[in-house]
Amino acid sequence: MRAPNEIDFWRGFALVTIFVNHIPGIFLEHFTYRNLSLSDSAELFVFLAGWSLRMQVDRAVTLPMWVFMLRLAGRAMQVYFAQLVITEIAVAFLAAASIYFGASFLLDWHNASAIFRNPVEAHIGLVLLTHQLGYFNILPLYVVLVASAPFIALCARYAAPALLPLSAALYVVTLSTGINLPSWPQGGTWFLDPMAWQFIYILGFLIGGKDGIGGLARRHRRILGLVALPIIGLGVVVGLTHFAPRPADVPSPKLFFVFDKTFLSPARFIHLLALVAVFAGNFHFVMRWFAVGARFFSLLGRNSLYVFCVASLLSLAGQIFRFAYGGALITDAIIASVGLVIMGIVAWLSERRDVGRKAAAGPVRASPTS
Amino acid sequence: MTVVMILCGSAGLSAAVTNAPAPAPLPTPLVPPLSPPCAVPEADIAIPAPLPNVMALLQKHATIHILAIGSSSTFGVGASSLLSNYPTRLGVILDKTLKGADIEIANRGIAGELADTTADRIMSEVALSKPDLVLWQLGTNDALSRVPPEDFETTVRETVRWLKSQDIDVALVGMQYVPRFSLDPAYSAIRRTLRKIAKDENVLYVRRYDAMRFMESVRSNEKIMANDQFHLNDLGYRCMAEHIAHAVIISLFAKPARPANN
Repeated sequence: MRAPNEIDFWRGFALVTIFVNHIPGIFLEHFTYRNLSLSDSAELFVFLAGWSLRMQVDRAVTLPMWVFMLRLAGRAMQVYFAQLVITEIAVAFLAAASIYFGASFLLDWHNASAIFRNPVEAHIGLVLLTHQLGYFNILPLYVVLVASAPFIALCARYAAPALLPLSAALYVVTLSTGINLPSWPQGGTWFLDPMAWQFIYILGFLIGGKDGIGGLARRHRRILGLVALPIIGLGVVVGLTHFAPRPADVPSPKLFFVFDKTFLSPARFIHLLALVAVFAGNFHFVMRWFAVGARFFSLLGRNSLYVFCVASLLSLAGQIFRFAYGGALITDAIIASVGLVIMGIVAWLSERRDVGRKAAAGPVRASPTS
Repeated sequence: MTVVMILCGSAGLSAAVTNAPAPAPLPTPLVPPLSPPCAVPEADIAIPAPLPNVMALLQKHATIHILAIGSSSTFGVGASSLLSNYPTRLGVILDKTLKGADIEIANRGIAGELADTTADRIMSEVALSKPDLVLWQLGTNDALSRVPPEDFETTVRETVRWLKSQDIDVALVGMQYVPRFSLDPAYSAIRRTLRKIAKDENVLYVRRYDAMRFMESVRSNEKIMANDQFHLNDLGYRCMAEHIAHAVIISLFAKPARPANN
């Protein structure tokens, strides 16, 4: 188990924020930072995923490339299976709740109705990730990004200067044309367009490194922080006033100038970068003044996939609980407390399991003859 | 309830203001008749409001792009096929009623979606292809998710204002009547909020709840709900389309009420 660190802390923070934001109407939602900003926890989560990939790439520098690529491909499969499993559990949650509460309309929540009413096509869509439940649409994006990780690692090792231009070019083409992956069988497109969101993943990857733009950012942290402050201030104003640019008033391609989430319009990732510029590198303050919270968030962040999966299901359970028992403050307090405790337990168990595995593997490594 | 005639001869509520020579007044169409199973009192169908952008396009004989967005009632959950959902049927009725008009309706319904998420999607849709009229069906899922009415109001009001500021007409298509929730305070609160927003922002409000309640109470033998007693069946969607078509035509062509002091 590694010591609490900045990346794990912020990942844990993003996970808790996603858990809260995915329970619409919950009282705590008013205290998440998206109310005072242009971006939200989804951007933070994807950015940190890119940063985390960079740490893996840097650590694996001595490994043969093909071994590392296989490892990354394995991780992509793990995330993909996680998405399939939590979606199926979410479907079962809705089915069970509909029976228990005698509320068949729960089968319709969050785009689930196709699974019950059109199961033949919907199940194909689930496996292809073209049918996504509402609030379960971050992991499909993450699957695509993690699936591209072997190519990103390859590019970073052998053609590092090409990575940013390639990513930026795909981003520009995506926003210029509005291309997106299709949803099927229900029609429409993905809520989070991977071809646009890859850009912030790559930015996380590059800024996470100690060379290139990552090195540049570290060397000029103070200046960047000063530049970022007005952007964050602007985000607060936008959050409070609910301002959104009107496509009619901006030039084409309009996706560059609006605050679009599906296509990650520039304003959103610039705001996220501003947050990073201001808050990055200050983890020692967090540890000094908020040690318990820092350790808890880091625990969650270290086990982010498991915690994310459980948090997604807890959010859905919270929604069902609010439907059944109302949206009072006490209900919300119960949901939030139970949710955080379970997320913590899952993260702790996941680490205990890893510690146990390592302990079991230790003597084998020490004694090849045994 | 049979055919309701439109009385005025020109674009009453919604004449577009322009310096160009005034276009020839459009011939006033008949309000599409309500079929007997869908007949309800006029007051239960909608609270009309001007649709100036659509009217201006009609006068120019330009294509009218309608975005039907919302949740299961827009997608058509409970219908026997996608051809039976309300946007498809609405297109047929409007084509028939507004003879010569070129109308394109895009269905962007996602079952079970809340207004907050739909608002995000509306912004994407508008950035990609500016619609001329947005039919936003909403409220039921927010009520069942216990979204506080004030949060719901902020989301919807801001989005409606944002759309109107870009000369996009808006119609709010209200919640369905479900006997199980007729006494549910959260359900009623969201319904009241929706109506208040429509009134304050002067946008067309389709009173689905009232229309369905009337049909359920007067013609309980005519089933408009699917087996789950929550979504509409084919007849229910047919009535929904007829009511929305009626509301749109009334909003376009009805003569504005005279001020009381005139």
